[in-house]
Amino acid sequence: MTTTLPTADQLREEIRAWLAAEWTGLAPAEDRWSTTPERVAWLEKVVAAGYAVPTWPVEWSGRGYPAELADVIAAEFEAANAPGARQDKYSIPANTVLAFGTEKLKNDLLHDVLTERSRTCLFYSEPGAGSDLAGVRTTAVRDGDRWIVNGQKVWTSGAKTADYALLIARTDWDVPKHKGLSYFVVPMHQPGVDIRPLVQITGEAHFNEVFLTDVEIPADYLVGEEGKGWRVLQTALAYERSIMGDGARASRHGSIADDLVELARDRGRLADPVIRDNLATVLALRELNALNNARAKAAAEQGTSSSVMSLGKLAMSGILHAEGRLRTDIAGPETLLAGDENPVADDVNFLALNAFFTSIGGGTDQIQRTIIAERVLGLPKEPEIDRDLPFRAVRRS
Amino acid sequence: MAISAAETEQLREAVRDLLADRCTEADVRRVMASGSGYDPELWKQLAELGLPGLLIATEYGGVGLGAEELEAVSEEIGAALLPSPFLSSSVLTATLIDAAGSEEDKCRLLPGLADGSSIGTVAISSTWTPESVAVQANGTLTGTASYVTFGQLADVILVVARTDDGIGVFEVSPDASGFTRTAAEVFDPTVRLSHFAFADTPARRVGTAGWEAVQKALDLSVIALAGEQAGGARKIFETTVEYLKTRVQFGRAIGSFQAMKHLAADRLLDVESATSAARHAAADGSPGAIALAGFACAEAYETVALSAIQMHGGIGFTWEHPAHLYLRRARSGAQLFGGSRLHRERYLVSKGA
Repeated sequence: MTTTLPTADQLREEIRAWLAAEWTGLAPAEDRWSTTPERVAWLEKVVAAGYAVPTWPVEWSGRGYPAELADVIAAEFEAANAPGARQDKYSIPANTVLAFGTEKLKNDLLHDVLTERSRTCLFYSEPGAGSDLAGVRTTAVRDGDRWIVNGQKVWTSGAKTADYALLIARTDWDVPKHKGLSYFVVPMHQPGVDIRPLVQITGEAHFNEVFLTDVEIPADYLVGEEGKGWRVLQTALAYERSIMGDGARASRHGSIADDLVELARDRGRLADPVIRDNLATVLALRELNALNNARAKAAAEQGTSSSVMSLGKLAMSGILHAEGRLRTDIAGPETLLAGDENPVADDVNFLALNAFFTSIGGGTDQIQRTIIAERVLGLPKEPEIDRDLPFRAVRRS
Repeated sequence: MAISAAETEQLREAVRDLLADRCTEADVRRVMASGSGYDPELWKQLAELGLPGLLIATEYGGVGLGAEELEAVSEEIGAALLPSPFLSSSVLTATLIDAAGSEEDKCRLLPGLADGSSIGTVAISSTWTPESVAVQANGTLTGTASYVTFGQLADVILVVARTDDGIGVFEVSPDASGFTRTAAEVFDPTVRLSHFAFADTPARRVGTAGWEAVQKALDLSVIALAGEQAGGARKIFETTVEYLKTRVQFGRAIGSFQAMKHLAADRLLDVESATSAARHAAADGSPGAIALAGFACAEAYETVALSAIQMHGGIGFTWEHPAHLYLRRARSGAQLFGGSRLHRERYLVSKGA
């Protein structure tokens, strides 16, 4: 195509006019893993207009725009609170399949993923491969024009509503662990896929464990080359990290427990010098993290890198656990109670437990510290005793 | 006067270059062993860069810059452990004269402070010191004040004293009758302290201002001190990370051990948080932002300096190694101008607690 690009102002006018004509709002879906027919119909329009993946080629619903122009579209959609634009920036399945998938897979998947006709989930972690993700043991074996998969995955969110899963599986046990992995898209609707809810320490079940028994994958659904799955996974993880939030969550009941100063005042503990000291510590941790993030953002906008960027998740873990302890100190023996009849106690207890969501999920604090020390501070890597062994010979628990 | 971020960076680099040349570890140790506690030659060179007059308005011979530039050069001062009356004279005293003094006071006192030819100090009796100085019925001062920064050097001597109607700022001549000053033996020889005693000492009131002028001078001093702390913390942290890469035990660089990596990652967060807090206090200037820097930077510096010694192991426990010089500076700074307890309380009040 030889069409010239619009200016940012021209594009902004176009989007505003289009949104003004088309966007009338949507009722929210039940949760982030669900969709509605109205939402799918809306996303069809967004995709058809070229706003869903503006940096992609035209043949895949894109416009071939540079990122700066695409961001104009995203900003207008965000201002109108309209979903579906700029999925080329955050959709893990769409971007991974576009970059590495076969023509057949792109035809089968891309449009349906962008419109939410099809939902996806991630088959990454396993009971024996958490921090050490390259140690997965779920195995895919080639059988003619298909692959047969057996194994167990865990920490899978959205598995019940998913039509496809993105799978990292071992295809060769006789080479070192990173070299024997392959990446697949797995059709979920088949008998060997057994999904069970995984109940967290908070009593909620946001995740599932999934047992895979002789699950079949078409040969065309191998993403990237056989044995090159680790590289595909790194690309996919980069999209995942770019969309990870700060991990903070409001409490279940939205009780007074969210506001530390008000909680202390309400419980008559604001004059307690120990509480005051801890309160200053925790409020400061929060504010310092916000200041660090603002400084990292400013550095990024000026094109300079900042070591602050990588510290946010580790800092948030510390904040959430410190808040959990402080809330518990303030509420005192009331935290012996639980349930809807005791909303403050329930919220305090929930938030104290849910802090682990951030300090374990997405890489434990310990893994984060190692990453910061090696990648930011340049400290030498830990010797990896399993790096060059055939995976079959690696010790496992 | 406002200057651009690039110009602030140039000023910072000029200070850094001068200190890299003239305030090496050997220089710091030489000055630590000296009687005066500062290097008069280096002080002159700092004056050529405009440092003593940084905050003083141009009509009084200064450069007329503000908190952000102060914070930037303070980071360099802290990194080099510069032993000098900069904080005491050029920040605390100069700002107090500016906030409290009459036009005549400013014309008389500020030009000397600005060009570095005179050195000022402030004796403050306040909530964090047990003693106090009070004004007698005949207008003379009586009482004591401890922890007076670089008090032996000063020829411009201000005293924050109690009057019948609150706090007032007074000027005492160095040779006034009944005034004695004694150098204290200090834990951190890069920050000299004196004990001042006044017995029916003649004094003249500086302007008419009260505690609000003192608070203003303290606020800028806390910003400068926070910058020093952020700069000192970063410097000793970088020294430590370098050591982790070169020190070999068990056939490996000790920085390859997770025990060291995890300590280092946590301390990096402390260093970055201190930097953010100090710069935010300078840019924002609100009581809450200054209070946050007041305790967050002091506590981060102490934590980082303590970890630095631990991570160095035996060599870090020797007098010969510079790590303890940073710990000493961290510990002295943590007590000046009120300390964490006071700043934490001010911070809580700013948050409505």
